[in-house]
Amino acid sequence: MATSPEIVSSEYKFGFHDDVQYLEETKHGLTRETVEEISRIKGEPAWMLDFRLRAYEHYLSRPMPQWGGDLNQIDLDKIVYYRKASQGEEKSWDDVPDKIKKTFERLGIPEAERKFLAGVGAQYDSEVVYHSVREELSKIGVVFMGTDQGLKEHPELFKKYFATVVPPEDNKFAALNSAVWSGGSFVYVPKGVEVPLPLQAYFRINAENTGQFERTLIIVDEGAKVHYIEGCTAPIYTTDALHAAVVEVIALPGSKVRYTTIQNWSNDVYNLVTKRAHAHANSTVEWIDANTGSRLTMKYPSIWLRGEGATAEVISVAVAGKGQHQDTGAKAIHLAPNTRSRIISKSISKDGGRTTYRGQLKVVPGATGVVASVRCDALLLDEGSRSDTYPYIDIQEDDTTMTHEATVGKISQDQVFYLMSRGLTENEATNLVVQGFLEVFTKELPMEYAIEFNRLVKLEMEGSLG
Amino acid sequence: MTAQPEAEAALKPPAPARQGPSDLTLSFVDEATVRRTAGAAADPEWLLADRLEGLRSFDALPIETNPLYTTYVDLRNARLAAARPYAGPAVVASGAAAAKLLPEGASAYAEISENRVTALVLSQEAHAAGVILETLADLRARDPELMRRLLEGGCALPENDKLAQMTRALWSDGLLLHVPDGVRLELPVFMRWIVGAPDTALLTRTVISLGEDAEISVVEEQVSADGSESAATDAQAFFAGTTEVQLGSGSTLSFAGLQDLSLRQVAFQHRSAVLGRGATVRWALAQLGCRVVRSRIDNFLEGNGSAVEQAEIVFGSADQLFDLTSYTRHVGEDTTGNLLSKGALADKSRVYMKGLATIEHTAHGTDSYIGEFAMLLSRQARSVAIPSLEIDQPDCRRVAHASSVGPIDESQLFYLESRGLEPEDARRAIVLGYLEPVVARVPLESARDLLRELLEAKWNARVVGRPAAAPAAVA
Repeated sequence: MATSPEIVSSEYKFGFHDDVQYLEETKHGLTRETVEEISRIKGEPAWMLDFRLRAYEHYLSRPMPQWGGDLNQIDLDKIVYYRKASQGEEKSWDDVPDKIKKTFERLGIPEAERKFLAGVGAQYDSEVVYHSVREELSKIGVVFMGTDQGLKEHPELFKKYFATVVPPEDNKFAALNSAVWSGGSFVYVPKGVEVPLPLQAYFRINAENTGQFERTLIIVDEGAKVHYIEGCTAPIYTTDALHAAVVEVIALPGSKVRYTTIQNWSNDVYNLVTKRAHAHANSTVEWIDANTGSRLTMKYPSIWLRGEGATAEVISVAVAGKGQHQDTGAKAIHLAPNTRSRIISKSISKDGGRTTYRGQLKVVPGATGVVASVRCDALLLDEGSRSDTYPYIDIQEDDTTMTHEATVGKISQDQVFYLMSRGLTENEATNLVVQGFLEVFTKELPMEYAIEFNRLVKLEMEGSLG
Repeated sequence: MTAQPEAEAALKPPAPARQGPSDLTLSFVDEATVRRTAGAAADPEWLLADRLEGLRSFDALPIETNPLYTTYVDLRNARLAAARPYAGPAVVASGAAAAKLLPEGASAYAEISENRVTALVLSQEAHAAGVILETLADLRARDPELMRRLLEGGCALPENDKLAQMTRALWSDGLLLHVPDGVRLELPVFMRWIVGAPDTALLTRTVISLGEDAEISVVEEQVSADGSESAATDAQAFFAGTTEVQLGSGSTLSFAGLQDLSLRQVAFQHRSAVLGRGATVRWALAQLGCRVVRSRIDNFLEGNGSAVEQAEIVFGSADQLFDLTSYTRHVGEDTTGNLLSKGALADKSRVYMKGLATIEHTAHGTDSYIGEFAMLLSRQARSVAIPSLEIDQPDCRRVAHASSVGPIDESQLFYLESRGLEPEDARRAIVLGYLEPVVARVPLESARDLLRELLEAKWNARVVGRPAAAPAAVA
């Protein structure tokens, strides 16, 4: 990867950065004062400051996790935990400061909104800079705004659900996020409302050594339906940035939520994310999750099937290139009878990259009639790349039907040979085989995203053949 | 009973009331006991040093060193504070070598009852071929250099395993089976351990060494002394045993292990095999008994073209816990690992199936498969499967694992009932049929029959759960 901001690799087209004058930023490193300062800048209610401080204490008391990727290189004292570039959340694109606007235009956000999406949110370092939701949706009560604004404008709804799915004590980085969280999306879809087009958010880390700790809270009321899409990018610096998000999804009875992520952080970002959904009776929760960027990602989207008849689906894709470790997976925790889950994971390792599937499937006593399946496939494209698979399957109810399969292999030379015999170059043939391998994921994306994703993977593939 | 545990046993306080899942209650693992054990066996210097090395490792290591598995350890039902090891090596009973003790169809027989060797006999054919079956005490006297070569450095015992290192420090009994180059025996060697005296601890090592192109099969039984289950005490007994296998190039070992210890027994088993070029090991293991059994198998596929076939079945009832780990390390080229675990779990029994295959960078052409399957026969039963892969070499023939958990298949049940079987008989046929593929791999006819009998007895003895599993709501 590139070693300075000037040398932007052709492989990573979002590696540019802007020289923004920040309105507010905290000192490097994290102290109790940093936490208090963030809360003060935001003008939060007292309960939120108490919550942050409780989380901060827990964060300090918790050791670094030893079981996943290598976290030894990350210098938590160098991180700037809060950076604010804009005065507030703008509703009109024209009001966004020019430099930030230019960045997002290069990423293609307003264009996407005009063409297709129901609402767009954009977060620049710590704060949400732009938010919009189509008028007709806001009329029927759909809320889509920055999480800070959500706390101000919908305090009761916010307090009722915030941190109920991922408490600060869940893990070290959830505690860190809880202490210093800023930004993220707050979504509420009222009873019976179906949002016809996806809501979209973009997250971007701009400055060096920035920690982004967005906190997304999505509440989908009974019988409602929504699709939320997020994309993430960052410029390339030599020192490391940290993204430790928490995403909480509450799918109330009969609702349907799909959450799609295309994570394409630059290769100096540590991406340590806790994503969890509570699926109530007869609801459906789907995580569609792709990880192509970052130095290290540790992310295991989870669904707790709490209500009878709930359904969970996770489709997860990871691509690890040089210097990257994608430690990803999925969890389905069956807590209620007649719940179903399906997990599909596809990973590709190349140029010395490493992928790890780490998953959990659990059926607790009382959760009768569960049907669950887990499928993991890994491709290793070259010597020196590595793939690990660690599924945990813990079944405590006898009438569970659970199947699990995993395979690891290299690209079929027969397929490549066949395609080459039809006139494709070796690179094109390999790209096509990889696209076929990932199709189970790609076909779940809206078309614009599918095209973009295929392009992304294609770029990732370049130079991977000798 | 000939058991002579050390005298102070009765004076020790009982186990603490609250015991965590990783707490090991054994109270005799200390330097004094190691030195006493070495002294009683008249160990040479190097062996005492080796034992002390094992003790140091024991002290330094946690129960589970692999962070993948730390949440799946549970020794709470192992209450061993009062257990005491035997003071010295097993005594060979007079007449143990009598030819009449050799079971029909076996080429050698060893029987160790607590700390007495009650049979140790070779067929004429085996003897003539140069096969050696002896106690480690005899080996010490006969060929101390060979013993040193086979045991020093813990041999193939895993260095990072606390419980294996405990056995390395404190073993008192042991067996050596050696098959010279080129010797292939048709008839199996039969080894039987009879243990279970309350408050005793027996720690043993079994070393199996096959020369180039040698071939043999072994049947090992671990059973309890008659009546130990019904004794008027709830004191537990402890058994730790190893099977340390070294396979010369082109050799083949078929090893059938049948564990049917009493519910008052806690057992730790460590089996390891180091395979030379073209060597094959076939494990067929049945786990039926014990309150708590923790087993670990290490297969080191070092030689090019070496292969392991491993099949393990579990039939659990009551509140038994079967904690089964296997590590298969592919190092050489074109190695094969084919591992199958199957569990049928009644009552409140639990199984942890932890299988990890590691394909090292050198292991071109690997074929690796892990299958972990469980059938839950009661609502309180629990199955945990963690079939894992670590792959550092993409040039493989096949790398895959599979796992499934479910109740007895309703359609199979319906079919058998439609053919006139009573529901209970149909269920028995399905469960025993599910385990049969492993039974069929046991090399000795009489051992196969014994295993089938034991499985049947276990089926009949289980506490019957709910009468029929509710059909799954969705197909």
